[in-house]
Amino acid sequence: MASRKTQILAIDAGGTMTDTFIIDDHGEFVVGKAQTTPGDESIGLLHSAADALTFWDMTVEEAFPQLLTGVYSGTAMLNRLVSRKGRKVGLIVNKGMEDFHRMGRAIQSYLGYSYSDRLHLNTHRYDPPLVPKEWTRGVTERIDLFGNVVIPLYEHEVEPAVTELIEEGVEAIVISLLHSYKNPVHERRVRDIAKATIQKKGKDIPVFASVDYYPVRKETHRTNTTIIEAYAADPSRHTLELVDKRIKEKGANFDVRVMASHGGTISIKANELARTLVSGPIGGVVGGRYLGEQLGIKNIVCSDIGGTSFDIALITQGDFTIDTSPDMARLVLSLPLVAMDSVGAGTGSFVRVDPYTKSIVLGPDSAGYRVGVCYPEGGIDTITVSDCHVVLGLINPDNFLGGQVKLDRERAYQGVKEQLADPLGLSVEAAAFGVIQLLESQLRNYLESLVMGKGYSPTQFACFSYGGGGPLHTAGYVKGLGFEDVLVPAWAAGFSAFGCGAADFEYRYDKTLDINVASEATADEKEDALATLQDAWTELTEKVQQEFEKNGFNSSEVQFRLYFRMQYQGQLNDLEIEAPLAKVNSVEDWDKLTYAFEETYSRVYAKAARSPELGYSITGAIVRGSVDVPKPKIPEEPYVGEIPPKEAFQGKRRVYWDGEWVEADIWEMEALQAGNWIRGLAIIESPATTFVVPPGFETVLDTHRIFHLREVNR
Amino acid sequence: MAIRQGDLSNKQEELLTQQYRRAIGWNGKTLKEMRAEIDQITQETGHYAGLKELVLKEQDPIRFEKMFAKLRGGLVHARETAKRVAASPIVEQEGELCFTLYTPEGDSVVTSTGIIIHVGTMGAAIKYMVNHDYEVNPGIEPGDIFCNNDCQIGNVHPCDVHTIVPIFWAGEVVGWVGGVTHVIDTGATGPGSMTVGPVTRYDDGYQVACRKIGRNDTLLQDWVIESQRSVRTTKYWLLDERTRIAGCHMIRDLVLSLIAEEGVDAYKQFIREVIEEGRRGLINRIKAVTIPGKYRQVGFVDVPYRHSDVEVPPYAKVDTIMHAPSEITIHRNGQMELNFDGSSRWGWHSYNATTVSFTSGIWVMMTQTLIPNDRINDGAYFATKFQLPYGAWMNPDDIRTAHSYAWHFLVSAWSPLWRGLSRAYFSRGYLEEVNAGNANTSNWMQGGGYNQYNDIHAINSFEAAAEGTGAGAVKDGLDHAAAIWNPEGDMGDMEIWELAEPLVYLGRSIKPNTGGYGKYRGGCGYETLRMVWGSRDWTMFFMGNGYITSDCGLMGGYPAASGYRFEAHGTDLKERFEKQLPFPRGGDPNPAEHKYEQCLEAKVVKRDKQTITTEAIFEDYDLYLNYLRGGPGFGDPLERRPEDIEKDLNGGYVLPEYAEKVYGAVFTVDNRGKYHVDPEKTEQARQAIRKERLQRGRPTREWMAEERGRIERKEASLPVRHMYATSFEITEKFLTEFRAFWNLPETWNLSEDELEMPTFGSGHKKSHAR
Repeated sequence: MASRKTQILAIDAGGTMTDTFIIDDHGEFVVGKAQTTPGDESIGLLHSAADALTFWDMTVEEAFPQLLTGVYSGTAMLNRLVSRKGRKVGLIVNKGMEDFHRMGRAIQSYLGYSYSDRLHLNTHRYDPPLVPKEWTRGVTERIDLFGNVVIPLYEHEVEPAVTELIEEGVEAIVISLLHSYKNPVHERRVRDIAKATIQKKGKDIPVFASVDYYPVRKETHRTNTTIIEAYAADPSRHTLELVDKRIKEKGANFDVRVMASHGGTISIKANELARTLVSGPIGGVVGGRYLGEQLGIKNIVCSDIGGTSFDIALITQGDFTIDTSPDMARLVLSLPLVAMDSVGAGTGSFVRVDPYTKSIVLGPDSAGYRVGVCYPEGGIDTITVSDCHVVLGLINPDNFLGGQVKLDRERAYQGVKEQLADPLGLSVEAAAFGVIQLLESQLRNYLESLVMGKGYSPTQFACFSYGGGGPLHTAGYVKGLGFEDVLVPAWAAGFSAFGCGAADFEYRYDKTLDINVASEATADEKEDALATLQDAWTELTEKVQQEFEKNGFNSSEVQFRLYFRMQYQGQLNDLEIEAPLAKVNSVEDWDKLTYAFEETYSRVYAKAARSPELGYSITGAIVRGSVDVPKPKIPEEPYVGEIPPKEAFQGKRRVYWDGEWVEADIWEMEALQAGNWIRGLAIIESPATTFVVPPGFETVLDTHRIFHLREVNR
Repeated sequence: MAIRQGDLSNKQEELLTQQYRRAIGWNGKTLKEMRAEIDQITQETGHYAGLKELVLKEQDPIRFEKMFAKLRGGLVHARETAKRVAASPIVEQEGELCFTLYTPEGDSVVTSTGIIIHVGTMGAAIKYMVNHDYEVNPGIEPGDIFCNNDCQIGNVHPCDVHTIVPIFWAGEVVGWVGGVTHVIDTGATGPGSMTVGPVTRYDDGYQVACRKIGRNDTLLQDWVIESQRSVRTTKYWLLDERTRIAGCHMIRDLVLSLIAEEGVDAYKQFIREVIEEGRRGLINRIKAVTIPGKYRQVGFVDVPYRHSDVEVPPYAKVDTIMHAPSEITIHRNGQMELNFDGSSRWGWHSYNATTVSFTSGIWVMMTQTLIPNDRINDGAYFATKFQLPYGAWMNPDDIRTAHSYAWHFLVSAWSPLWRGLSRAYFSRGYLEEVNAGNANTSNWMQGGGYNQYNDIHAINSFEAAAEGTGAGAVKDGLDHAAAIWNPEGDMGDMEIWELAEPLVYLGRSIKPNTGGYGKYRGGCGYETLRMVWGSRDWTMFFMGNGYITSDCGLMGGYPAASGYRFEAHGTDLKERFEKQLPFPRGGDPNPAEHKYEQCLEAKVVKRDKQTITTEAIFEDYDLYLNYLRGGPGFGDPLERRPEDIEKDLNGGYVLPEYAEKVYGAVFTVDNRGKYHVDPEKTEQARQAIRKERLQRGRPTREWMAEERGRIERKEASLPVRHMYATSFEITEKFLTEFRAFWNLPETWNLSEDELEMPTFGSGHKKSHAR
């Protein structure tokens, strides 16, 4: 079957396994797996691609020359960071502030903790700093928040500091001085002296000034991010080059791109490589945006349930929100990251009864790949949500992951009985069903508060549900919310990789600004403010252009989008808003910007919270530029009809549902055809996912292999 | 059975007619009647609202959990969203805000994260309105907004401002929602939210006593005008208020949608049961992790007001000490009693506390150790018995008392409770839960004037939210990490504080020797050196413990270091910068060395133990050292592992001299300045120290006999005699016990009359009928 036209290669190189997704021109895809090969990840990648292609009887040499594009995302950089196996980095900061990085922000001692552990003081702990005390030096200078020089740079201190770091054997030097985002002159001077000193010593040590990478306020965030650039990201560049080279050797004729935190993909030659630290769930959000574009849906709630977490994100007016000071790997950072809410509730979440209050506690920890008590080889004693699925008959214990993993229903039953049903005085089935109901109602609350918290109503949104565990619970967590439509793609389990393949080739650069305009400001003051904003946009536009030039794109091929961040004067939180204008200079333009801000503000908070009497501050400028790249096609099949083909029907199975055992129709997902209409109670199975259609629901498969789920009796 | 069964089964047609009734309580009752009923039935049965069985929870545990999850998730979310409206870094960065849902009678049902001490204080404000017939005058109607920050009604200190909104369903009050933020200034005698200087309520700033400030979800214009004219930081006040209102309204919508889903009867039953469940939860937890018995401990802290840098009226210009002996009794049935008999009298300073702040604030701590979960409500209050002596600093018998920094005493009195509980955990085998106590959460850097933007401003640094924590029985305390009032501590970024304060940083450093020594040491604090920059008419002051360490180590561990102050005025920094000369940068690791003064000329340098001061004038280029304290240690320092001492030396957590003296460490320094501790020589040195300890030691009876003589002769400093005199006067039982313990004659007493200092307020108390 070498006649297949391969289009897109998406690679997800995890810590132990490398997954490869190859998508053809019909939107069909194959998945390959191979062990990750640390050091030279291209080897594992080629094995993995070869494994995938065996499903299509193709070789890498046949498939790669046809590929239009390829996107890489990997956890190698994150692993290097988390296991503290990065470069030996030297740090130069303000003299007197040498401790600030190793002190960390106290928030880093409980980042990523569950609510109860955040309260539980004795559980807090710090991770070791990326740069220890011995490799930190200070130089005297101070610039204030307005950018004024308070203390001149004591230039004579720089060379000795750099020399000492060289003697300590550092492999890279990071410089981060206070308020350098506002006035970079001292930091750049230190950088230049450092480079000259290194050269004088005949060494080859890269130097990273924070202002050249992340010129944004909050020194801990900025410094952490710049250190990651030197510590983990830059050393990973070589790996990426090797991946690019090996793929080209096999006939590919495109530059490999890497998934980045802002939701676009960037070149392996990009200046700020630390933003490729992110992996996993944002792919799904990017895929959701792309699918929405293709289907003409602008407002989407993306929901993804895996084994360990429930991840949700909003796409409004075709765009996702960006968090500008997120945290990853227990560090506060200044990367733009696709905003996502993550809750420790997945199919593998542990289920316990609190011994003190006798209440049911779900998660936040989970059995992960060890599934639950039902999987004897997993060695788990505590019951999980999956055990409840097995007890209820929702999961076929003999067909889990296409039958690769055999589950033991009896073990699950005993576990649920002893740990849950007996302590609560419920029947085993009622207890298991209760857990599913509780989980789904919690997920529903999260979804609802995410949408309402941004000032919207679910009726304005379509909900996309994907991830291995998503379709099991879709009906439960959307019930009663009144979404405009609920979509479950048949390729739900591979949706994140699909999303990586669908990402734009896009750079995004941010700059901190402090433009204050009083409510009674004159026309001149408003115009001055706009001039500053316009200058920042021009600067960032050039920066984006330079990045694209590295891959041979000229500026006419780049589509630019301009954004600004605004708040009422004195506030500490701003909102990011796309500029309604490409150029700004007049008082009318100013009014258009503030109007756009106030519209968003009153939606997000409350009309009563608007405070125009305080005046406005523009706190940041953002430029996004993208070029066209090939993207996966959405499947397109002819409409067949409402009645599913006989061969899709797999018989009936007893399922416990809301107080009684009932017979559920079992369908094979792959065999269903466009237009097929299925009423609940039904279970639609594929090797990687199980889609539950409860009583009172029905689903229709459309011509794009997407299921639409509806409540019947509403 | 539960509160009057009839209240839980309303007919729809009755609900409609209720809209036209005057009484807004359930089934035609007034809120005041409901309050009295709940108290009576709880008292009679020992169960909240008489709920011996949790019918809803037992019959449908899943539904109960779903209702809880919806409310709790909604409250947390409302807090996260609303806080983004605020301008104040105290609210936005440090999270000093909290939202709580109440029953119609003012008992808390569910709370968000944040400063949960206010679970009880806002409840007290609601109860006050209920008991003062607010439903008749000024009326309680849908869309009303109320405000309270009056300490004597229900508050910790005036800077915690409450916004309270009733929730109506079909003409009945089904509950209240309260929101609180810690505002940056309250228009007190000095700038800053927890200013030093007030000695009476009338100096404490703007106090709003349960006032109706809005109708139809809109603030009244006279309120906005008055409040804006009453505080220094008007913009912050405005946005803080909008934060609170936004959150309250989000939560009101949430409750109404829950009622629409579940029905009002189920909701009414739920809010009762969840409180009773909270009561049982605490009792079960106590049974599981402690051992019944009595746990006694004591706390002290200094009020050094007889100093030229403390400007207060003459009757307040005295040195006194806060005394807080405490006894935790854990009964076999899991009931807990907290007894503070023997506490000293309230005083003419701003560190007094109200009973509700004391009883409610206990939960801020308990959720960090005893009950770290989301089930915090008034159930825990109903499960605990308090004895707070009338007339003591936490139960003043005079309305004149000031409270602007009640935490000075609260922190110092509560830290010992951690030691008491830790002994209980230790006995039960929960070593991981042991925590030797808390840092005195200071210094509070505060001040005001015209700031760098030329606005009238007040500052209140919350770098104090990241102090060292107490050592455990299995590990060191955490350095620069948390505060007793906020386990989710953070010091914030310097660039953010420089936005809020006209002071540039010249240093931020780990402070050695500040964590208490021990087998496991307390977490170290840190210090930031600030230079005044860009202000006009600027004043600042210090607030913290100085002469007395306010905690105590556990099981042989040392207390944390106490405080000191450093400030410099009229400096030569400008010239030093121009000539690129050295000047004070970074920390002051060993205060005895006066390192700063070695590269600084200044007209005035103040370096002493006077860590409480009132407003002093600061000009550009003046210096201020903000030193944030460490936590207490656990276990004998001679048992500390040599490799840990080596890490402390190389990391700058202990000064070499003290590694030698206290830990008995023997070490060398290599040519790169790295310390190497020799384990064998260290063991030898420790043997010698142990021998020397034995030589120094003497039989307890002998020592007590000598002490007894001094006590009988009343040989003690004036503040110590004053402290005991007030304790004796307030609690007769304490005097009796004291006499018995020291075997003193029946006639022995120590009264305030015999002291050579003014004791305003004490005479009033004596004549006051209890």
